[in-house]
Amino acid sequence: MDNSKDCSMYTEHIESGKRKVTLNLTVNGRQVVRDVDPSMTLLHFLRDNLKLFGTKEACGEGECGACTIIMDGNAVTSCIILAVEAEGAQITTVEGLAKDGKLSILQEEYIKADALQCGFCTPGFLMSTRALLDHNPNPTDEEITEALSGNLCRCTGYLPILNAVKSTVERERKELDR
Amino acid sequence: MISRFTYFKPHNLIETVQYLEKEEKSFVLAGGTDLMILLRRNLIDAEHIVDIKALPETAAFEFIDGAGLTIGASVVVNRVVDSEVVKVKYPALNQAAASLASFQLRNRATVVGNICNASPGADLPPALLAYDAVVNIAGTQGIRQVPLHQFFTGVKRTVLQRGELVVSVQLPEPGEGDKSIYLRQTRLRGHDLATVGVASRIKPDGKVAIGICAVAPTPKRLFALEDMINERGLSHETIEWAAEEIKEHIHPISDVRSSALYRLQMASVLLKRGLFNLIGKED
Repeated sequence: MDNSKDCSMYTEHIESGKRKVTLNLTVNGRQVVRDVDPSMTLLHFLRDNLKLFGTKEACGEGECGACTIIMDGNAVTSCIILAVEAEGAQITTVEGLAKDGKLSILQEEYIKADALQCGFCTPGFLMSTRALLDHNPNPTDEEITEALSGNLCRCTGYLPILNAVKSTVERERKELDR
Repeated sequence: MISRFTYFKPHNLIETVQYLEKEEKSFVLAGGTDLMILLRRNLIDAEHIVDIKALPETAAFEFIDGAGLTIGASVVVNRVVDSEVVKVKYPALNQAAASLASFQLRNRATVVGNICNASPGADLPPALLAYDAVVNIAGTQGIRQVPLHQFFTGVKRTVLQRGELVVSVQLPEPGEGDKSIYLRQTRLRGHDLATVGVASRIKPDGKVAIGICAVAPTPKRLFALEDMINERGLSHETIEWAAEEIKEHIHPISDVRSSALYRLQMASVLLKRGLFNLIGKED
């Protein structure tokens, strides 16, 4: 079934007609090789080519954070990165958080804390939080706020998100101590 | 994306500048946080995108005693924020870098890109100007060095010629006891350019250096004002005087972020607050 139109986005990738570039990268632990259009964004590549629809597009200009992914350990906005720039990169999207069909602690805590309503910004928030905790497992409130400064949420008012991050810190620490 | 372009990622500097000279409609890509917006909105006619992140020269990020700090064109802003040596030796640059855009953007945006984009409201130039930054520009004829205060020629315009590429920016080492601070007025932290940004620096000999953004067509170093302050000697009275005098040295406009009048007033407040902070007094 061709589901390329099922999850259409705000913007559509238009083929440039320029010669394609072969791209090798690792997405959520899996090696991926594809020929891509040089003008395709990494966001469009993840959604259109790999059918990873968790990563969202909202502003498309790096302002809102809905398209945040982790690229080589850093949280970045995939809407303003070219797919071809990701050659050799290690990428984690929101689909990479759950393991063996079980949600990660981070995802469970977001649900418990009611850190989402419409949920459109959530994959971006999750990825920014994951990148933060990977670098700094015990962040201060200020460090959390700073790390999430590029993610906008119009529903929650941010406090439940802050609480979700803090309870994730607690649970992940206990998990490590076990 | 509406724009149609080829993608080229060279590994050799000479090859890069030759390509940039040969292909008129080629644009340099480093972090892409400004370029991708232009491409997306179809505001530039790009046929070739040249990704400079594989050039070894652009990866340099080092502090050498006596020589100072070199920041290559591929070095992202968050590396500067995290750098201990920048925190200690160039505090205003650390503060400016930490105030720039949002966390994710700082993971991509480069220091040199912030200069080359030449926005009047760019956050890093005030601090870089106050530290006498020099821009290293590669061309087909070799490398030339341009002091940052001569680099900007207008809104979004620089001295860069076709076939030229900024490889790095260099900051001399400040002496023992050097102090600096970057203060910025903005509407929304993390999501807006500065309404006004002022970097104030007091050198070990007591001389001041002042860099400012968003009050003129380009970021500016206020040399004339510095001379007047230095002649009077830095004191409580001089700072109060300078906070008024600065209004004669800048030419802000009114735009979506602020009125010209508010910018004049905030430039005055930020200079006063910065210098008082550096001499250890409250304003």
